[in-house]
Amino acid sequence: MTLVRLGAIAITIFLAAPLLVVVPMSFSTAPSLQFPPPGLWVGFYAKFFADPNWTGPLVNSIIIGIATAVLTMAVAVPASFALVRHRFPGRSAFNLLLMTPLIVPHIVMALGYYVYFGELRLLQSYLGVVLAHTCFSIPVAMLIITAALKGFDLSLERAAMSLGARPLTVFRLVTMPILAPAFVIAGLFAFVHSFDETVVSLFISGRDVATLPRQMFNSFRMEADPVISVASSLLFAAALAGVLVPAAVRSVRRTLDRRNSPLAS
Amino acid sequence: MKIGKTANRIDGISRRTVLTAGAGALLAIPFIKRAEATEKVLYVNTWGGLWDEVARDVWFKPFTKETGIEIKTVSPVSFAKLAAQARTGVYEFDVTTLGVAELGRAHAAKIIEPIEGSAIDRSALWDGAVIMNGVKSHAFSNAIVYRKDHFPNGGPQNWRDFWDVQKFNGSRSLQRYAARTLAFALLADGVAPEQLFPYDLDRGFAALDRLKPHLRVLWTQGPQSAQLVRDGEVEMIGMWTGQAGKLVEANVPVEIVWNQALLDQAFWVVAKGTPRAENAWRFIQSAVKAERLAEFCLRDKNGPLNPKAFDFISPEQAKLMPTYPENFKQAIILDPEKIAPQLDELNQRFDRWISS
Amino acid sequence: MTMSRKPRIKTGPILLGLPAGLFLLAFFLVPLGYVTVLSFSDPSWGIANYRELFNSRLFLMTLGNTFWMAAVVTGLSLLLAYPLAYVAATSKGTLGKTILMIVALSFWTSYLVRTYAWMVILGVQGPIPALVALFGHSPPPRLLFTSFAATLGMTHGLIPFMTMALFAVMKRIDPKLMDAAGSLGARPWRVFWHIYLPLSAPGIINGITLVFITCLGFYVMPVLLGSPREQTIAGLIGDRMEQILDFGGAAAMSLVLLAASLGLFSVYSRYFGMDRLWGGRI
Repeated sequence: MTLVRLGAIAITIFLAAPLLVVVPMSFSTAPSLQFPPPGLWVGFYAKFFADPNWTGPLVNSIIIGIATAVLTMAVAVPASFALVRHRFPGRSAFNLLLMTPLIVPHIVMALGYYVYFGELRLLQSYLGVVLAHTCFSIPVAMLIITAALKGFDLSLERAAMSLGARPLTVFRLVTMPILAPAFVIAGLFAFVHSFDETVVSLFISGRDVATLPRQMFNSFRMEADPVISVASSLLFAAALAGVLVPAAVRSVRRTLDRRNSPLAS
Repeated sequence: MKIGKTANRIDGISRRTVLTAGAGALLAIPFIKRAEATEKVLYVNTWGGLWDEVARDVWFKPFTKETGIEIKTVSPVSFAKLAAQARTGVYEFDVTTLGVAELGRAHAAKIIEPIEGSAIDRSALWDGAVIMNGVKSHAFSNAIVYRKDHFPNGGPQNWRDFWDVQKFNGSRSLQRYAARTLAFALLADGVAPEQLFPYDLDRGFAALDRLKPHLRVLWTQGPQSAQLVRDGEVEMIGMWTGQAGKLVEANVPVEIVWNQALLDQAFWVVAKGTPRAENAWRFIQSAVKAERLAEFCLRDKNGPLNPKAFDFISPEQAKLMPTYPENFKQAIILDPEKIAPQLDELNQRFDRWISS
Repeated sequence: MTMSRKPRIKTGPILLGLPAGLFLLAFFLVPLGYVTVLSFSDPSWGIANYRELFNSRLFLMTLGNTFWMAAVVTGLSLLLAYPLAYVAATSKGTLGKTILMIVALSFWTSYLVRTYAWMVILGVQGPIPALVALFGHSPPPRLLFTSFAATLGMTHGLIPFMTMALFAVMKRIDPKLMDAAGSLGARPWRVFWHIYLPLSAPGIINGITLVFITCLGFYVMPVLLGSPREQTIAGLIGDRMEQILDFGGAAAMSLVLLAASLGLFSVYSRYFGMDRLWGGRI
């Protein structure tokens, strides 16, 4: 048992340690991949934020991520209700269609979009990238929303209705507040899915709406210069915040709850 | 017709989404972009790294100051993208530089703008400045560069040595560029420089086959080649001497072997059908002006192809340049005319060789 | 409007599902259709692209290499993720929580960030070659731009997926079962072998399927970290598109890759039901 625990600790270190390399590299003075860095400075951060070839893609990625999240939710939420609350002919085929984007390799879709969006004049446009990313984000969002919906107690809605509330009012006052956390998480997943997507962006986002992953990928091909490590550190910091902040909030809330609870002490 | 129909479908869906989600689709609609013909902007394809830095100072900034046309850079350099642009009509860059072999291909495939009737003033150029719709800029050497720390007693001195894996142990890299790499292979196989062109393709590819297990990477981008040898990922590499010169200045222990260096020339070309062709030709006109070209070549360690550029270069500096008349005579020069008929077959076989 | 008769929001399922269905039809199935048509029509109509593929030694080798690499990555990540998920699911203290947190962190970290990290670590000037040199191995081994680097990077990247798939099943295993077996005198490893492992099997199957399919189509890491001589199918497709502009050939390869991915998926869903595959994601 202790052996298993030790093994698990070692594997955890194997998971975490490589990621930690990124941060010191971003402060390195060396133009190359020298580790440990020979000296430290913040020059490459200045370079990152001064270069429109980096800041542009950062902004593009955020815009595309938000638009993707909004569009994803707009189609995924009703579809989730249809799947969970209704039985209809073709339901399993519909379910299959919604999930296949998770299975199809992105490079295959990249080729498809390149040709198809070329005809639609959607190459190098925000709309093109958002449409592509939404396809990939729909199943991710659906998984989260349907799971939440399955756990939703329908008697709450029935109770509200029996008290005379109209359907939309029921949705607004009962369904929505209960499912809101799941919606937020689904939207967040859709955003991150789009923000991290590399392959399709690489082939269709082009010059004008280049995303951050595309710029990073192209920089790797040019030269793995330390500006990439700045981008990497920023992304890593975002991931770290995404994991630590909710955990911290939870633990603070738990402490407060315990202190306020009459059963404590 | 097909396009129109599908575009309607998009509108239909947007409308539906507006009904269901309002804000979402509204966000997306203004993102459909339309290129304007009168844009005050020009997109230049750059090699990144040092090239980019120098070009910005010497070419881009002065041009923007004179004309008000903003220059935006796009990398990496990709011949395939140039071809794809003409096909799709979606432009990432308007101007790029090509070596002689690529120029031949691009000219034959009609993916670059013709110089006839363009905005460039040919009377302001020198004799022989234009070949196959490309404007000559500078010449650059492709030479063997090796790590001195790995070969303290001297590394490979010619391409035959580069191919000799027994005598010179270590991993190697060459450029993913058929016309240049094949010249190296033939030189390694004992072909005399004066008999290099046209290429004996069978012989060249046989030589490449022998080296293949020892080629770690085929580099595609200039800075990438510098990084490979700087970080010690390879012990020897065929690369541009300009990039290598920068490494020497940065005290990286590398040696440049000038023997059997292959000289190629860079040409400015304009992407076929770009709406910004006029800006593009104006830019090229300004970039090959003697003084600017001289400055670029001094800093990027190349040789100007505009002869007047030497007026702005001291004799000492000129002697170090590959296009200095004395050096030019000794160099092995990639011959655009003799390899032009071979290019299609050469590139096809090279692609197949890479992927086999 | 009077009160609704049905205790549900009064909108038909068709209307609810229509936006998503039409959207995926127009922007997912149609582009896939384009790829299919392209593979039979570019540069000329017929099956020439496929004939060329299956006569190409390189393509067949790459196909084999891709499957082999996917198998190795899947096996390794199962081996490493299993103890991780096990400890996370069974220990009550901070260790379990820490593990889950690190897994989540790793899960949320972009593949490009990991790629950069591995470039630094495996590069000639990085810590691993330095460490190896310390033990007297000279010159330092070349690790970057090899299949080893790509395999390591992908394994590291996919462990979180595997862990989540396993954890989702393991956390539902009742620890009392193990206690009961233990109190009846069974040795710990027998308890594990005969009770825990079979109970966690659904998680293993989910994880293997997810990771293997992901590996088959993986582009970023094999291209940036891997060896140019031992490409994967995804890398080959990208190369065809970008360097050679052979869209027909790229499309034919894409269809082979697609068939492999969908084939595996349909085998899974036939035996285990599609919806369970992603149980670990939530």
